[in-house]
Amino acid sequence: MWRGLLTLVARAARGPLRPCTRQGSRTPVPGSGATIFALSSGQGRCGIAVIRTSGPASGHALRSLTAPRDLPQARRACLRLLSDPRSGEPLDRALVLWFPGPQSFTGEDCAEFHVHGGPAVVSGVLQALGRVPGLRPAEAGEFTRRAFAHGKLSLTEVEGLADLIHAETEAQRRQALRQLDGELGHLCRGWADTLTKALAHVEAYIDFGEDDDLEEGVLERADSQVRELEVALGAHLRDARRGQRLRSGAHVVVAGPPNAGKSSLVNLLSRKPVSIVSPEPGTTRDVLETPVDLAGFPALLSDTAGLREGTGLVEQEGVRRARESCNFLDVVVNPAAGRSPDGNSQRLVLVLNKSDLLPPGGPYPSPDLPPHLLLSCLTGEGLDDLLEALRKELAAVCGDPSTGPPLLTRARHQHHLQGCLDALGHYKQAKDVSLAAEALRVARGHLAHLTSGGGTEEILDIIFRDFCVGK
Amino acid sequence: MFSFRGCGRRVAASLTKQHLPLVRFSGDSAASWTPHFDVVVIGGGHAGTEAAAAAARCGSRTLLLTHRVDTIGQMSCNPSFGGIGKGHLMREVDALDGLCCRICDQSGVHYKVLNRRKGPAVWGLRAQIDRKLYKQNMQKEILTTPLLTVQEGAVEDLILTEPEPEHTGKCRASGVVLADGSKVYADSVILTAGTFLRGMIVIGLEMHPAGRLGDQPSVGLAQTLEKLGFVVGRLKTGTPPRIAKESINFSILNQQTPDNPSIPFSFLNETVWIKPEDQLPCYLTHTNPRVDEIVLENLHLNSHIKETTRGPRYCPSIESKVLRFPNRLHQVWLEPEGMDSDLIYPQGLSVTLPAELQEKMITCIRGLEKAKMIHPGYGVQYDYFDPRQIAPSLETHLVQRLFFAGQINGTTGYEEAAAQGVIAGINASLRVRHKPPFVISRTEGYIGVLIDDLTTMGTNEPYRMFTSRAEFRLSLRPDNADSRLTFRGYKEAGCVSQQRYERASWMKSSLEEGISVLKSIEFSSSKWKKLIPEASISMGKSLPLRALDVLKYEEVDMELLAKAVPEPLEKYTKCRELAERLKIEAAYESVLFHQQQEIKSVQRDEALQLPKDLEYLSKDVSLSCEVREKLHFCRPQTIGAASRIPGVTPAAIINLLRFVKTTQQRQAALNELPQTDHCLCDTDKLEERQL
Repeated sequence: MWRGLLTLVARAARGPLRPCTRQGSRTPVPGSGATIFALSSGQGRCGIAVIRTSGPASGHALRSLTAPRDLPQARRACLRLLSDPRSGEPLDRALVLWFPGPQSFTGEDCAEFHVHGGPAVVSGVLQALGRVPGLRPAEAGEFTRRAFAHGKLSLTEVEGLADLIHAETEAQRRQALRQLDGELGHLCRGWADTLTKALAHVEAYIDFGEDDDLEEGVLERADSQVRELEVALGAHLRDARRGQRLRSGAHVVVAGPPNAGKSSLVNLLSRKPVSIVSPEPGTTRDVLETPVDLAGFPALLSDTAGLREGTGLVEQEGVRRARESCNFLDVVVNPAAGRSPDGNSQRLVLVLNKSDLLPPGGPYPSPDLPPHLLLSCLTGEGLDDLLEALRKELAAVCGDPSTGPPLLTRARHQHHLQGCLDALGHYKQAKDVSLAAEALRVARGHLAHLTSGGGTEEILDIIFRDFCVGK
Repeated sequence: MFSFRGCGRRVAASLTKQHLPLVRFSGDSAASWTPHFDVVVIGGGHAGTEAAAAAARCGSRTLLLTHRVDTIGQMSCNPSFGGIGKGHLMREVDALDGLCCRICDQSGVHYKVLNRRKGPAVWGLRAQIDRKLYKQNMQKEILTTPLLTVQEGAVEDLILTEPEPEHTGKCRASGVVLADGSKVYADSVILTAGTFLRGMIVIGLEMHPAGRLGDQPSVGLAQTLEKLGFVVGRLKTGTPPRIAKESINFSILNQQTPDNPSIPFSFLNETVWIKPEDQLPCYLTHTNPRVDEIVLENLHLNSHIKETTRGPRYCPSIESKVLRFPNRLHQVWLEPEGMDSDLIYPQGLSVTLPAELQEKMITCIRGLEKAKMIHPGYGVQYDYFDPRQIAPSLETHLVQRLFFAGQINGTTGYEEAAAQGVIAGINASLRVRHKPPFVISRTEGYIGVLIDDLTTMGTNEPYRMFTSRAEFRLSLRPDNADSRLTFRGYKEAGCVSQQRYERASWMKSSLEEGISVLKSIEFSSSKWKKLIPEASISMGKSLPLRALDVLKYEEVDMELLAKAVPEPLEKYTKCRELAERLKIEAAYESVLFHQQQEIKSVQRDEALQLPKDLEYLSKDVSLSCEVREKLHFCRPQTIGAASRIPGVTPAAIINLLRFVKTTQQRQAALNELPQTDHCLCDTDKLEERQL
């Protein structure tokens, strides 16, 4: 029997694909049988973006997007029209490459799509891949793990990659924090909490329902929680406007003391009046965000309240938000002299504004200051230097192929939320409680990809908190 | 050779100054006694008996050292075995030919499978056990096991010698020193001291050193181990008072009757020793607000509850229940202690109040108004070793050939102890024979979950098995423990009898054949509907339906299916177990298909082995301090285990990959070695010597 199941799996891994919504559930397990995809080139404006897949369904994915044509000749670049497998809508004319395993980067079947680098095209292809059965977005370091598992990387290569992976996970962590800061994050955490509690109660019913006493209606309560969750998730996935638009691009925060001219700088950089400016300190009280194109890179520019011990409640809250937004940013532009804001591990560009007020010929700002730029928002003097400095910083942030591209993050969100919803559907149909619990475990695994957490101890904590069990 | 015998030993010796006669009981009359054994097991509790029997089954000459032979197989706490999760562990112990399931099938007085309506993956085999019978049957088994010698004696110290250079560890265990100063040499030592290591008994404000009531605590040994650098923690547990049976008014209480027919624990048994109608019932009663009052009014007289020694998150005692869930009625199960026992065990009433208050509390419970308390309940505080200091083989990182099993690893329960006992016994024996360790992965069994949890995460409360701990619960079922473990036990460890192996093989091939036959029978859903009108087969699908799919319906079993399609299905209904297992496999088929993929990916990570002597604190491992220290302490043996240690990041795992020894790489390295005549000669000689 056991052997029978194993051969079944082996066959299914290569053979015709069944819709398989439950792959990639629970903790990310690199090297698993699922087929993964990721944007392999850097984010930002670039001529060509490379999207890569690895795993047994790679060939299927390639055929689905270029259907109905056959696979291209192995390891030969070939021009194909990519279209969405569901809607048939054309996505891009792209170079595709087919690397049948084991002669590929990971040792598995791999496909590469060299598409035109615009965000719309990249996003379209990633979403189309996410809809191919058996495919899921790659986890941090997963391509590397697979390559290693198939003996494709030497030990020294792994050593070199470790630092890169570290950067990758760090970038993903920041990316995740940023995404989870907004309304969507709030929603996800709420859903994960509800689901964890429902699962804990079902698990309690299984492990303690007979020998210890649980109150009546444990299972019924879990049922109704799951039903509500299902409705909420379904509505969220159907309504694309619901929830916050995922922020894309590098995050640039302008921070500094009050009345330094932060808002003027934001208006200057975005070439539109985003923020109200006045000579009065403390005019900006909230974090204002605007998507801009900075020196050719997509960026999200944030104007913040001046960092000081605010006088009013509203301003204090503004300052708190300003500090908080510094925790998940990529570049801080600090248009003032003096101390850098909190979270100073990020890239920092120190800008001294109001250079027009400096008397011609000196005295200049103290030479003890850290490297800085002089700028006048009024005259525009020094703007070119600032843009050049920003270009360098953003190139470092965006050009790093290891940072988690927001477009991929969006694909991940969709993939896991859909996976969660599908699993909740299985919960309802489950014939026995152990199968129902399994469906909830899978659902929770998907949400854990977005919110972290998801261990067994969390479940036991809830069980022992909510129920008087034990002997 | 040197021996770590500290000054503490003398102090301890004076405490245990009770000269025990050197009595040896041997099941193997042919083996003349020699002071050198392959394996010495310290302790005759549930871990010790399983460990000793497993080592002997594997072919090692084994000595079981116990304080008193007449306490072997003693159930020192609750008079029951099994349950949800625990029953799973027992089936796996049985699959490795362990003892407890077979003994329980001969000693139970009330057999009941829990969770019957919740799906076969979470059925919990459970039985009330006759304490006396269990002890008798266990002693008979232990004293007649070939190669196993039993000796009475208190162990005071370990004999420690120079370490083997090819293994990690600061020294090597080579035997034990007994309280009378005599020595016993052994190639492997298994310590299953239970709560005996600095055990303290607590009733009310009184505290006195002891293991279980009436036994001696091992202080000297605890000090030696601490001096070696083992990190020690302290845990507490408790037991309820015992009540005179005839003083209870059962007529006003809810009765729970046993299953009919009884389901045996062991794969080898078709039935249990006793008919359902001869079995004893259990009764249910509840606490009331008066019990709460007595507990709350007397907290100042209850040092066990005040102590800071860590108790579990769950509620082990009536005090914790009252304190954490006030104003509720709590269940108390009145369980028989045996066929001719006058005692009743009030499950759920663990308490450490002073004895007279315990009696007062008992008599305000319904049905117990006139109850007579025979023994008071008491608490036990004891040392345990942080289980992150042992490898998945249960050998300690610090001392070569020293194995820990049972409660000293921080677990609670007979079943958890037995499970570790079997694994320690097997591995101690394999170690003597220079064979690779026998490790069960968490994808293969609850035993694997138990040991992996302990060795990667440690524990700060008595660790108890729950099915919620197993991520592959639907695959790790009580029904299929034999197909998961028996073959490995037979081939890799040699701990499984020929009879059991053949039975498991027959079952496995019958299941495989049965499933492929069920898959091959295909009819339209309307034809199935006609054949089995009882089943609510949905008519929507035009695709033909396999017999296996029809078997998934709740109301369909093999008998019904065989009535509809007698040829070729009838023969699969002849064996009740086979028919039931086919039904279970059908019910879980589609989910197991997905779970198999996850299992494979976990196993892939577990195949990536980390070298045992990897220096995590050295400079060429570029890891953060926190991760370094965790890895250094736990010494994970595979990438899989490392990734489950809390705080070890994905980046750290990638970093560790470069140290991985895969079998392929080892093989490649071997191939690269120059194959000269000289080398071959050497190997020839080596083999000769071994012969």
